[in-house]
Amino acid sequence: MSKRQKKIITLAAAFALMFGIVPNVSAMHIMEGYLPGAFCIAWGVLCVPFLIAGFMSIKKTISQNRKLITLLAMSGAFIFVISSLKIPSVTGSCSHMTGTGLGAILFGPASVSILGIIVLLFQAILLAHGGLTTLGANVFSMAIAGPFVSYGIYFVCKKTGVNKRVSVFLAATIGDLFTYCVTAVQMAIAHHADTTIFGAMGKFLAVFAPTQVPLAIIEGIITVVIVMGLESYAKPELRAVGFLKEAK
Amino acid sequence: MITIDKMCYHSKLRYENAGEKFAFAVITLLICVMSRSAAVAGIVLAVTGVLTVWKGGIPVARYVRFLTVPLAFLILSTAAIMFNIRRTPLDLFALPIGGWYLTASSHSFFYAVSLVLTALAAVSCLYFLSFTTPMPDILQVLRRLHCPKLMIEMMLLIYRFIFILLDTASAISTSQDCRMGNRDYKTSLKSFGMLGSVLMIRAVSRSGKLYDSMEARCYDGTIRVLSENHPPKKKVIAGIVCFELLLFSFAL
Repeated sequence: MSKRQKKIITLAAAFALMFGIVPNVSAMHIMEGYLPGAFCIAWGVLCVPFLIAGFMSIKKTISQNRKLITLLAMSGAFIFVISSLKIPSVTGSCSHMTGTGLGAILFGPASVSILGIIVLLFQAILLAHGGLTTLGANVFSMAIAGPFVSYGIYFVCKKTGVNKRVSVFLAATIGDLFTYCVTAVQMAIAHHADTTIFGAMGKFLAVFAPTQVPLAIIEGIITVVIVMGLESYAKPELRAVGFLKEAK
Repeated sequence: MITIDKMCYHSKLRYENAGEKFAFAVITLLICVMSRSAAVAGIVLAVTGVLTVWKGGIPVARYVRFLTVPLAFLILSTAAIMFNIRRTPLDLFALPIGGWYLTASSHSFFYAVSLVLTALAAVSCLYFLSFTTPMPDILQVLRRLHCPKLMIEMMLLIYRFIFILLDTASAISTSQDCRMGNRDYKTSLKSFGMLGSVLMIRAVSRSGKLYDSMEARCYDGTIRVLSENHPPKKKVIAGIVCFELLLFSFAL
């Protein structure tokens, strides 16, 4: 083995090791402290109308049928647990689902916005995914933008009579990709040191694409398996959850 | 199950007044994020690190390992901020690739360094809160701050259910492992999906049972829990106020 070959092998090993130990390819939570103060406030304010609408809808639902409070809380815990479990991934790093597509399909976008803010707060405090100051930005991308797109796609597919598996897959995958694009936009608006906003956006999209695109597809497949499983074994439970969706 | 949750119940600062800890963490966090200076970030990182590890009694190795949790995000996005691919080289360095350059300017380099420091300091503030204050205490503080009652109640219930569902999920995944459920990639995807759907079914039936048992114990729309009260100490409050004023004047 020549000297040069040895060098190349060492470099490759170092490279592999570095990416091997990168611990957590979580969904696109913006890290604590990564956005400047003004942007944290702006994204938070942007979320407020959606949160108020969600809160009103939940309040109305619960005042009509008090029994739904435990169901609603269980749904929130379900989203948290599903997004904190390691999913089987191709590269061997441990990655997580966002659960937004699944949540939107099962519980409807209005209740997911409120459940989303609670889940994201818990993820920040208990798992250190995301943060307190970036809560507003994360809520906007993961609990509002993603679920609304997922639900819209699912709804349109249902109206036009597309195969159920295909529509669930599309809803979950595209919702996930949309979340990732919104996050890239949020980061680009805040940080563009020597390029334009669009240049910075391109860079963020490119850097996160290798982890996020496969993740979105895997999430789509898993969501299809989960929804199909529920369709075949849990008709009454789905009907119970459907109450959360109807009351809007 | 959730390491942070387990650790914070063992912290030596657990029985301090929750409002004090919450105020300290949040105000420091705000000053750190608003000022965005490397010096403030360094001070904050040192102070909260020492408080969490030395006063709180969290093992150093654990703490450092937790600081690396957001590392993947930090490395990738800072790389995106620092490096540019363009036709003309910038002032810090430039690596030619074909007709293009992978290049960075010194301005964006310093920007990236202060950003990384600020982010790490902010994470250390968050860790101070989550390594010393159990979730029920944080909820108590939120209740004092007039967060809507329904939200608090939902958070209390969700916090409780998370552990029930995690327990169920880990039992299911153990039994899937025993039965060759993760034999190859395709099976493991299918197993994970099945775990998800069974978990949902269990969750719905659990929630029904829980409501029945709450009803049997005279549930009337509010959940009342007793909370231990640890009165704030004047010395600690004075210390916090002094520290924040100093930090604030330093940030200006």
